[in-house]
Amino acid sequence: MAAPVFAVVGHPNKGKSSVVATLSQNDAIAIALEPGTTRQRQNYPLSVDGQVVYTLVDTPGFQRPRRVLEWLEAHSVSVSDRAETVKAFIAQFRDDTRFADECELLEPLTEGAGVIYVVDGSIPYSPQHEAEMTILRWTGRPSLALINSIGPDDYSDTWQRALGQFFQVVRCFDAVRAPFEQHLGLLKTFGQLEPEWEQPLNEATRFLSEQRQQRRQGAATLIANTLEGMMSFREKRTLTVQQISEISDQALANQLRDQWYKNQRKKEEHLRIAVERLYQHNRIQRQEAELVWHSEHDLFSERSRAAWGVDRRYLATAGFGAGAVSGAGIDALTLGHSLGTGALIGGLVGAAGSYFYGDRLSLPVLNTGILKDGLKTASFGPVQDSQFGYVVLGRAINHWWHISHRNHAGRELLDLAPANDHWLELLDRHNRRTIHQVFDRCRKKRSVDDKTRQSFVTAITAAMDAFDQWRLNQA
Amino acid sequence: MADSRIRRLLAFDRQVRRDQSQSPVFLHRRDRRFALDCQDRNETPTVDRWLAHLNRVGHMGGNDRSATVPDQALIKWRQLWAAFAFFGAILGVVSMAGLLYYEGGQRINLTLLLAFAALQSLLALITMVQSAVNRQPWRSLLRRFGPANQDPSSAPLKPLMPALMARIAHTGGVCFGLAGVATLLVLVVIQDLAFGWSTTLSTSAESYHRLLTVIAWPWQHLWQAAVPDLSLVEATRFFRTGPGTGQSDPELWGQWWPFVVMVWLVYVVAPRLAGLVLAQAQLHRRARRALANHPGMVALEYRMETPTVDTGNEHNDAADSPDEQAVAQCQTLPDSQILIAWAGADDPELPDSLSAGHLITESVGGQRSLADDEHTIERCAELLAKQNKPAVTLVTRAWEPPIAELEDFIQLARRDWPKKTRIALLPFTGDAAQLISPKQLGQWLRFVDRLDDDRLCVSQPDLRSPESLAYAQQPEGPS
Repeated sequence: MAAPVFAVVGHPNKGKSSVVATLSQNDAIAIALEPGTTRQRQNYPLSVDGQVVYTLVDTPGFQRPRRVLEWLEAHSVSVSDRAETVKAFIAQFRDDTRFADECELLEPLTEGAGVIYVVDGSIPYSPQHEAEMTILRWTGRPSLALINSIGPDDYSDTWQRALGQFFQVVRCFDAVRAPFEQHLGLLKTFGQLEPEWEQPLNEATRFLSEQRQQRRQGAATLIANTLEGMMSFREKRTLTVQQISEISDQALANQLRDQWYKNQRKKEEHLRIAVERLYQHNRIQRQEAELVWHSEHDLFSERSRAAWGVDRRYLATAGFGAGAVSGAGIDALTLGHSLGTGALIGGLVGAAGSYFYGDRLSLPVLNTGILKDGLKTASFGPVQDSQFGYVVLGRAINHWWHISHRNHAGRELLDLAPANDHWLELLDRHNRRTIHQVFDRCRKKRSVDDKTRQSFVTAITAAMDAFDQWRLNQA
Repeated sequence: MADSRIRRLLAFDRQVRRDQSQSPVFLHRRDRRFALDCQDRNETPTVDRWLAHLNRVGHMGGNDRSATVPDQALIKWRQLWAAFAFFGAILGVVSMAGLLYYEGGQRINLTLLLAFAALQSLLALITMVQSAVNRQPWRSLLRRFGPANQDPSSAPLKPLMPALMARIAHTGGVCFGLAGVATLLVLVVIQDLAFGWSTTLSTSAESYHRLLTVIAWPWQHLWQAAVPDLSLVEATRFFRTGPGTGQSDPELWGQWWPFVVMVWLVYVVAPRLAGLVLAQAQLHRRARRALANHPGMVALEYRMETPTVDTGNEHNDAADSPDEQAVAQCQTLPDSQILIAWAGADDPELPDSLSAGHLITESVGGQRSLADDEHTIERCAELLAKQNKPAVTLVTRAWEPPIAELEDFIQLARRDWPKKTRIALLPFTGDAAQLISPKQLGQWLRFVDRLDDDRLCVSQPDLRSPESLAYAQQPEGPS
């Protein structure tokens, strides 16, 4: 059985390309092309392991619908020959530039594609488009009308009533803002147009759901790896005796610190690009947006700390958990003879340390090694404040959230507004402890084993869920 | 130390680290493709096949040195293994030579030999237990100087280190034992060794014989000569302050060597061999487990099992956006005699400020037929022919894009209307008080640009009624 094809058709500039961009997750489709600019139809197949499951076809808009309809009516005798008449029209006018757009958009329909007719629900309904709707009805293909609201007004009710007379199914779908679940719902609706399309479209939605889960997991891994790298990052420099004599300790510290900050920002930037690529967003104007809108929200600003850092109580509880785990090691060594005192003492020490020292965004330590073989090594980092990790984590998850909820039809600048609440409070204790433990290990220059790393990724995934939940509550 | 499992683990880890620079989407596609190819060939997509496949396609006709050069971590372990084997053999020779030191005036005490063999068995047992409970002796030393340093390439060997260390230790022990046996046999040949037994404890020859029988139990059926009988035990006891060797046949002192050889083989060499086999088995098991639990392995299996979904995002026409600059500018609305509403622009009704003063008002496009449009053009042509300054205002819906049908209408009208007729396009927002957005206006100006008609323009007059204008200009008074 051939994979179903859906031709997205309609009046020019009513959001056809937006719908296709969102459903095909392609942010490189030109949207809002100048009407009248002749365009070829473009196929966007969804394939699984190279097998096409369905194809969306983006088409040019109607340019001369009344003229086409007049020709069709003049060449048709009865209702039964209408589809054939449409084919005849294409055969006759395929090479006529006047009807290039109509031929382009009607051809897939005569080859068996379903009709997805897109209208703009933010402008009032007008019967002026009935000529094109009539032509589409003449094709005899299963049809669905999509009300895509481009502007702020909403006339979808009147559109819905009017479109119901021409199309089998009418749905509202905001190509820029519709959540992912609605994308899947829409695809399932496509499947309901023809009985044999139901199974491939259900399959497609299943694969897309799985892909989204994979991406979530992939993003968590990327964030975890970057966090580990940033928390344990050290800027090192080896100096000769000559260089040592030429630079003061303060100047060296400044240079190292500047380089350290620069590299940390670069790592964060790499993470953002990687997450965007993961979600197939290749053209996001985030960099410019940041410069314009977020200069005060830079990674190391105090405002970032206030927005993304965690409070003392959080640090104390997470510190208690992490300390208790270390202390439990003593209990294990004494085969339980210490009756859990190790865990208790470890927990209290961890909590006190985190409470009193954790809330300071202190600078990373500058270490200057001893002179050896005429060379001296100076290093800056790793950062000694866990808050740094929470700031990076908060920013990373905020970015991930925006990317994962952004439709590919969106062309506006990515606005990474900081949170105004401690969303991590929604994270359970176990995962808080895991995150804190990894931060502690990194700043103490201890390696993180594979098992801990996996737990860290799981904790980051849970943090993403918590952020999601927090966002939902905010809404 | 040919160990395919360890090599596989290291090669896999190396590939996973190499893959870190690749995008997850690419890795998924690559590994899923491999899994599907295996499925087509009815093969299981094993790690070996996967690595071989990547090596084969990764070479690109060249020679991938990294695939053939042995791992540094493995080389270091091999060096350590060779060092243990060498020093074990040297120590074996020295120890046996020391134990069998005989200057001709005394006996070699079998009790000492037995105690030494027992110590060796105990050491072998300790090494086995350490390995079994995952204890790592010399861990800090290895970390600082040896193969267990911080090199990322040796990271996957970390869980294998206790077993690796045990294997090296047992190899050293085997070399120690075999070198000891060889030394014993050489000394038996080139020297006349006199073995006896002696102990401070008050024990009888019978008791000692019973002990030796138990010790010799493993080989009692293999080599009878290596099982001492009671008469030999009785005849070869000596005391430090005793009468010397004159009481027994000197030949008897030499009959102990088969027993000593077997004690050495069974209680020194055999435990170490058993430990070596055990360590090897542990190593295999742990290498297999390390590979199975490798984070890259979990990810690889996931990539192989999960279908790749391509949403059709390859097409890129983002650069095809047209020039959004317009040359045309808005012009003043001419005093037109005819007002034509295009495609329902008069629904709802046009404001009086716009419709007033026209000789005729017409509707074209949209729901009207093409024939209606032509009739309207003819009617207008008749009227315009009578005017000195013929002008037409063509009202359109500001939000609707100008399409080719409008272009056709204008061209058709141009054919019938007087040449000097000015046509003013007036995109109307539907509300006299609402101004057209620059984006909407832009598309109309560009439309006029495209038609290249000097007597066609876009106009945007202030359509507010005199009352509303007066109201708008009224200064705010006290409420």
